[in-house]
Amino acid sequence: MLLLIVLFAFATSPMGLLARREPRVLAGWGLAILPLIIFAALCAQIPVITDGGSIVEAIPWVPAMGLELRFSLDGLSLLFALIISGIGTLIVGYAGAYMEKDVGLGRFLVYMLLFMGAMLGLVLAGNVLTMFVFWELTSVTSYLLIGYKHDYPDARRGAQQSLLVTGFGGLALLVGLLLLGAAAQQVGVPVNQAYNLDAMLAAGDQIKQTALYGPALWLIFLGAFTKSAQFPFHFWLPGAMQAPTPASAFLHSATMVKAGVYLLARLAPGLGETPLWNYTLISVGGFTFVFGAIVAFRQNDIKALLAYTTLSQLGGLVLMIGLGGKYGSEALVTLILAHALYKSALFMTAGIIDHETGTRDLNRLGGLRHTMPVTMAIVTVALLSQMGIPILLGFVAKEWALKAALESTLPAPWPTLGLMAVLLAALGYIVAAWRLFKQSFLGAPTPELLTRHVHDPKPAMLLSPAIPALLSLLLPLGLLPAVSSLLSPAAAAVYGERFSFELYLYKEVNLALLLSLGAIALGTLLATQEQRLAAHRVIATVSGAELFDHFIDRMLALATWMTRTLQSGRMRTYILYSLLSFLLFVGLPFLAYGLDEMRIPYDAELQFHEIVVVSLIPVGIIATIMARSRLGAIIAVSSVGAMVSLLFVLFSAADLALTQLLIEVLSTVFLLFLFSVLPARFRSFSPAWVRWRDAGIAILFGMLMTGLVLATAPSTMFPPLAPYFLENSLAGGKGANVVNVILVDFRGLDTMGEITVLFIALLSIYGLLRFRTQRNALPLSGNEQQRPLPGATSNGSHAAPVPTAGSSREEA
Amino acid sequence: MQKQVSYESIILRVVARLMLPILLLLSVFMLLRGHNMPGGGFIGGLVAASAIILQMIAFGPQEARGIIKINYLILAGVGILVAAMFGLPALVADLPYMTAFWIPEPIPGIGKIGTPVIFDLGVFLTVIAVTTKIALLLAEEPELFPLAMADDQEGGAPQV
Repeated sequence: MLLLIVLFAFATSPMGLLARREPRVLAGWGLAILPLIIFAALCAQIPVITDGGSIVEAIPWVPAMGLELRFSLDGLSLLFALIISGIGTLIVGYAGAYMEKDVGLGRFLVYMLLFMGAMLGLVLAGNVLTMFVFWELTSVTSYLLIGYKHDYPDARRGAQQSLLVTGFGGLALLVGLLLLGAAAQQVGVPVNQAYNLDAMLAAGDQIKQTALYGPALWLIFLGAFTKSAQFPFHFWLPGAMQAPTPASAFLHSATMVKAGVYLLARLAPGLGETPLWNYTLISVGGFTFVFGAIVAFRQNDIKALLAYTTLSQLGGLVLMIGLGGKYGSEALVTLILAHALYKSALFMTAGIIDHETGTRDLNRLGGLRHTMPVTMAIVTVALLSQMGIPILLGFVAKEWALKAALESTLPAPWPTLGLMAVLLAALGYIVAAWRLFKQSFLGAPTPELLTRHVHDPKPAMLLSPAIPALLSLLLPLGLLPAVSSLLSPAAAAVYGERFSFELYLYKEVNLALLLSLGAIALGTLLATQEQRLAAHRVIATVSGAELFDHFIDRMLALATWMTRTLQSGRMRTYILYSLLSFLLFVGLPFLAYGLDEMRIPYDAELQFHEIVVVSLIPVGIIATIMARSRLGAIIAVSSVGAMVSLLFVLFSAADLALTQLLIEVLSTVFLLFLFSVLPARFRSFSPAWVRWRDAGIAILFGMLMTGLVLATAPSTMFPPLAPYFLENSLAGGKGANVVNVILVDFRGLDTMGEITVLFIALLSIYGLLRFRTQRNALPLSGNEQQRPLPGATSNGSHAAPVPTAGSSREEA
Repeated sequence: MQKQVSYESIILRVVARLMLPILLLLSVFMLLRGHNMPGGGFIGGLVAASAIILQMIAFGPQEARGIIKINYLILAGVGILVAAMFGLPALVADLPYMTAFWIPEPIPGIGKIGTPVIFDLGVFLTVIAVTTKIALLLAEEPELFPLAMADDQEGGAPQV
């Protein structure tokens, strides 16, 4: 069922392309059937979940590594999945009308449906690795959506920023999850269950005791904070507003940005309730909550204003998780629902205003109350819910948030800090909402607007924001018991124990209610001063985006510098850097740890002919170095190879000897080809000190390799594999030649990989040589032909030897 | 500056011509005996490739191409495909990919036949194709790699 839902979402996403075909009924509301089917399928599961059940489906993939495709549905994932598919339905219908004239509508809808599939997979995942895959998919699809208008540099910049920030967070998250899995294994969870969310959370109390808990949590925080735009990673979210408005409404308010919150809520019952967890989340969430709310009312772009209130709200959700407890989880799920409803409505109406008036600038709007009354009604309801005015869902949610802070059992300053954050944010929301409302609907229309024929859009477009706005109003009026029964299992999943709660509009006069009303009163007072507040210098915006851009610029400059330095296009520098880094990163640790491991095996029974063969090897090497002509050097170096294969013969490794010999022959031929471009006799172009330096590095490298062999060959760290192969070669592999049986049977997959590498090497050489031929056809080559510098004719001649020599020798 | 590559050594040509069939036979022999005696697809492939490369050195790349008139790039791909196919029968039998199957009795004159022999054949083809093609690619760039070792006097290396 769950797997089917996710598969359905992905499989039907190409149908978005149908939107471009005639008849265009499929655009928009026609295609909205797809998410609607998912929504209906999920609704059918509601009774199971509200009865306290859950659904789990698992397909093992690599059980030995805990990799599986596991989906599970409980209260929390059901709430998210319903929001995703429900708002997804509205958004797809809205997008059809909003982007009616856009030729890219089909492409856009494909991205949207793909994103929806990824997001559903994320919330339904029951294994953290499964979840991670979908997590990254949401980053990628979000990148495509933000960069949808790829002709605009701002859109590209916003898309790149969001991908870099969330991608970076994703990497941190992956490491964090792997650490968590390792910790789970440490405390006795079997490997194939180590990444299973339920097993992980069940072992949560022991995991908290391990040393891995702290680092894992920090990395997971990084992932969650970047995804959910928490300060100081908040800046990508306003940048992401470059996405077409339907995408903003869907991704950047209702769904994707909540992925981080979802992850934290998911992990809360097992890993929460530690000082590290609570205090980090309260500080970061609380700060983002207030920061976003204050920055929001300074914005002039409607979407930017909404973006900042969104990131503020995300901070609020993180704060609720940090406060924890029953009230914390109740407040969390109520806020999620309330926010998803009013914010998607607000974003969609912002899109409508933009669509009808051609601007989202609050200073250029005004007087829309006459021309767009229906839109105004929707915005009013949604804004009232955002402000937390009584009888709207936002009011209920805010009261629960206050209760979460008041009833928190955390030590002294933290609940108070949480309370302050909720109240301050509430004030900010009121001012921001009032400013949005006043600037767009009140006052007189600007002359610009008068020249346009501004009016309410057609019902197909109004329907989408109207539904969530109405729900914000109707749910608290008549449906609170139903909502409570849906939210109870979700809160239970966050809290970790089954319990149920009842939402209510009014029960008694208590501190939470008084504070809530007080905040509204103070907020209203402040709202009358909104012009002065908005212009206030002290409340400066911290422009994280600019800092980030600066950082990326420096990064690119560094990369350019590195490329220029390291990628000189000269073989000798490549070899030099490779050897030096090997000496540094392997040689130094070897000096520190490996020297004691070195054993010089002394074998008294060395035969005379063995000594002769071995001592001929250095002779060949010295001859190579001393050779005056290249031909001589090639022959001398191949004599070394011949001696090595003779050694193999002496130790009765016939296959190795044969292979080595054939490779030697072929490498000699290739070397002849490659060196034929150089003059026959060696000439030194380098100063003496360079040659001495190179000699020194070469000798050090040789010594290191010898030491490594001496240290590792007698190692008994692992039981040797040879006896197994010897015993099973004939019995299991039906072959007497053990080497060959290993190659084609025991290690068949390795061989498969090796011949694939051979093929890739061939393709690269092919490409290099053909590419070079084409480039030579350019007039530039005339210059080259006059002065053929040996070994410097073109990149092709340099690069070619690398894979050739490498690939043929590697196989030996 | 274009150098004329000469492939005119009588001795080499005679030897190469004699050796070609022997080496090619040897390569197949190596391939087939590989499972029980030294040899196998990799060695067999190298032997066959050196046979062709020997022709190339003796007669030039044109002649060498004529020995096996085939697109080596495709041959290499076919080799990998053949090697990859050998693991498939196991999947049908619901065993892990690449589980080997053998015909119970050895076939006279050829020996035991099983899926690993097919795998070895794939390795054989890929190794022949890759090695030969690289050599041909190099030989067909006389401007880049003029094969005949330039003499010190006429090498045209700039004096630095």
